[in-house]
Amino acid sequence: MSRIMTVWLPRWPVQRRLLERPELRRRPVFVCRRERRGVMTVVAWAWAAPPRRAAPTVPQPGGVALSRIQAGMSLAEAMAVLALAHGSRACHSAEVDQDDPVADLAAIEELGRYCRRFAPIVAIAKPSQHAHGGPECLHIDVTGTAGFFGGEGPLVRTVVWTLAARGMHARAAIADTPAAAWAAAHHTDALHADMHQRADIHHRSPSGRQRKQIPAISRHRRWAIVPPGTSLQALAALPVTALRLDAAVTTQLRDVGIETIGGVARLPRKSLASRFDPQLAQRLAECTGERPEPLVVPCSGELPTAAQAFDFPLLLRDTTQDDLVLVIERLLQKCVAPLAAQGKGVMSLQVRLERSPSAEPRETCRPVIIDIGVFQPSSSANHLAELVKLRLARMRLPREIEGIAVEVVSAGMVECRQRTLFGAAAETAASQVGMLMDRLSGRLGRGAVFEPRPLADAQPEHAWAAVPPAARGSVPRSTPRFLSRSLSRAKSGPKRSQQEAAHNRSPEARMAASMAAPQRRPIWLLPRPVRLETVSVVGSSMDQAGASNGPPVRFCIGAQWHEVVKAHGPERIETAWWRGPTVRRDYYVVETSTGSRYWIFRCFPERPARRPGGEWFLHGTFS
Amino acid sequence: MVTQVLTSVGTDGSLLRRAAEWRQTAGWGWETVSTGFSSLDRLLPAGGVRRGSLVEWLAGGDAAGGDAGGAITLACAVACRLADSRWADQATASQTSTIVVVDRGQRLYPPAVMPWLEAQATVASQGGPRPQLVVARPSRDDDELWTIDQALRCPGVAAVLAWPRRVHSTAMRRWQLAARGSGAVGLLVRGVSGGLQVGEPTWADAKVEVTPVAGGESVANLAVRRLRLALAGGPWSGDEMLEERSTELLVDLTSGRESTCRHRRSARHGTPVAAGRFQAGSVQLEESTCRAS
Repeated sequence: MSRIMTVWLPRWPVQRRLLERPELRRRPVFVCRRERRGVMTVVAWAWAAPPRRAAPTVPQPGGVALSRIQAGMSLAEAMAVLALAHGSRACHSAEVDQDDPVADLAAIEELGRYCRRFAPIVAIAKPSQHAHGGPECLHIDVTGTAGFFGGEGPLVRTVVWTLAARGMHARAAIADTPAAAWAAAHHTDALHADMHQRADIHHRSPSGRQRKQIPAISRHRRWAIVPPGTSLQALAALPVTALRLDAAVTTQLRDVGIETIGGVARLPRKSLASRFDPQLAQRLAECTGERPEPLVVPCSGELPTAAQAFDFPLLLRDTTQDDLVLVIERLLQKCVAPLAAQGKGVMSLQVRLERSPSAEPRETCRPVIIDIGVFQPSSSANHLAELVKLRLARMRLPREIEGIAVEVVSAGMVECRQRTLFGAAAETAASQVGMLMDRLSGRLGRGAVFEPRPLADAQPEHAWAAVPPAARGSVPRSTPRFLSRSLSRAKSGPKRSQQEAAHNRSPEARMAASMAAPQRRPIWLLPRPVRLETVSVVGSSMDQAGASNGPPVRFCIGAQWHEVVKAHGPERIETAWWRGPTVRRDYYVVETSTGSRYWIFRCFPERPARRPGGEWFLHGTFS
Repeated sequence: MVTQVLTSVGTDGSLLRRAAEWRQTAGWGWETVSTGFSSLDRLLPAGGVRRGSLVEWLAGGDAAGGDAGGAITLACAVACRLADSRWADQATASQTSTIVVVDRGQRLYPPAVMPWLEAQATVASQGGPRPQLVVARPSRDDDELWTIDQALRCPGVAAVLAWPRRVHSTAMRRWQLAARGSGAVGLLVRGVSGGLQVGEPTWADAKVEVTPVAGGESVANLAVRRLRLALAGGPWSGDEMLEERSTELLVDLTSGRESTCRHRRSARHGTPVAAGRFQAGSVQLEESTCRAS
């Protein structure tokens, strides 16, 4: 009996864009396709993180729910629904992007290669005919491999949370057939609700004490497991749309009062094909396993892999790290060579150290996986081996290794230039910087190495964003890099269209635009402003809150008092009302009697009645 | 080459007095570039910063607020200058000029430094290299030392700016050799709260103590910072140089360059700004509120 796991990535076109540009999470994103006469049709849409003050997505009495926006709807209609639910500002801040099925397919293929860490056979599910977008599902053949992860439950949870850690929302289910797993993955909520109901009936007793012993099942779990041999029974409560039927067949079934898979299963199977569309019998047979549904592993653009199995398990006590690196480097050369012949280089790869199951009975026997990502495509096996070595030095290795496998997850075009007589050194320098970034991020973590990017935000904490270092002079990547989450923490406001347009400009133009009005900013900024104790203030004028204007005469940092000799300001900042509490600050640059300079501000709360204003904070130092 | 130096400076004992010139000529083949601050160039033994070397900046100032003394500001300005002049005489667009900042305490505020790279962006628009500011934030001390070492070994890096807490002589020597091989300049900012680094032997080419000048005349809007620099040591015995090698300079905080404005008395606006209606965004309301306590 085979076991198939289906991983469903809802609204994949939008998810792919959010992975590439995380700042879009704060804005509604529409992926549209231009139809005849210029009509824009929504392929997928999402608003990952709506503002806190916005209307909730659940239907309100007299309100409009965002769930009314469906794929296939025209963009104008979707915008109207959005405006009714969240106001016209949400429409102004919406991001409308053209559908790019080729990039979506390439990204999900890349994800499929990444998911080979769970099982060797990963296929991409074909989208149904009436679907408006491309494929959104992966079928993984987990027959016999679930034991390495401690069972099917831990495996499916590992898959969901591993993808969640990469910034992807996924739902997964394991069943006997791809069709059953597809249905379960798309209706995990309904499955859990049904299980909960059945468990409730089964354990119902006159005394309430026994009912409390029933474990609570979350109705919004992202995974489900259909027990072997019970596909139809477990899926009986799901709607007939879970069988991937066309709309006409669904309507036909609804006309005769059949809404669920259980209702279809109760019909006589022989007359099913003659009474309804043949597709229904076919789908039902696929669901039960009577009709095989082969998994089609994508072979277009297949990336190289190399593996080395040892005759006897490699014992860690007899092996040094250099020996392992030597084997890995040899495998890397096998992977890099065919790519280099095509002018490509490795963008990310996966090294798997297969464990021996008998050696560590108490531990799970899942392979140790090392993910390596580079900032620009590399065709140097030595460089990649060095990155692997850096990771090996900081991780705990298994005691016995049965084999080593290296798999290229994504590749990109390597920049090839005609070498000049005197320019070779400079070209080498540019590539050396890229290799340095790879080494640094390999040891420090990808989030610890970044390039700052200016943002047009008045609040100092949000005036810049950290992005991965750009590969200088490299050609654009052919496939999106979803495996590395962007470090950007830019938060968008409602009216960010001009700012986003500024971001889309060239870096030079962006820098010039942001530096049009240079403000003096401190070299060091504290992660959180530190409250200051001020003793005396200027008493020449008072504001409405009763606090005096102007900087303090003395303030205390730690245990030391500083005497203000010079000050410049105030620079008033009132912003971020769309992010939460409004930020209202008066910033001053003050110089103390010892010559030290600090950046302090006085905070004005949004509601002075609740909290008195005029508190002073230290925010930065001119170190 | 050493013979040539001996011939040029003579054997009458002036060789030791002209140690700086000797070191510059008998160096390891890297050029000396200006820091962008004429007084600092005159202060440094090589007449500027020699590529492939280390420079230590000792942050002076008061004991508790010694980190607000301006040493990192000056080091950042010098790093931007190094990234600017690195490829100024070459017109190949593929070259890069990278500044690596090793920010152990996660306190660097990049918007303060990014305007200083505007000049390099202008060069880039004319076909020159684009400046690149890369920030690395190690979380452990050994990671910090390793990051500085790796960055100094990279040939494409113009300058490495770091403020390590503790530096062993071995690590410093390793950094010196790494920088010598790649041509990168290591700018290491260290505190002088313990007062132990002044006059200590070091592997850096120069050790400069940076102290803010308190009070006195200054530009009204605090856009210019006045710093006092003193040569506090180097690979030579720096004791005899401490008294005679000190200077002052003005750093323009908006451009990161040497200020050309003359000292003038600060304008005094007696009345501070009144509490007006708040406006969206960042608005500069009034120029200055200066007073003496």
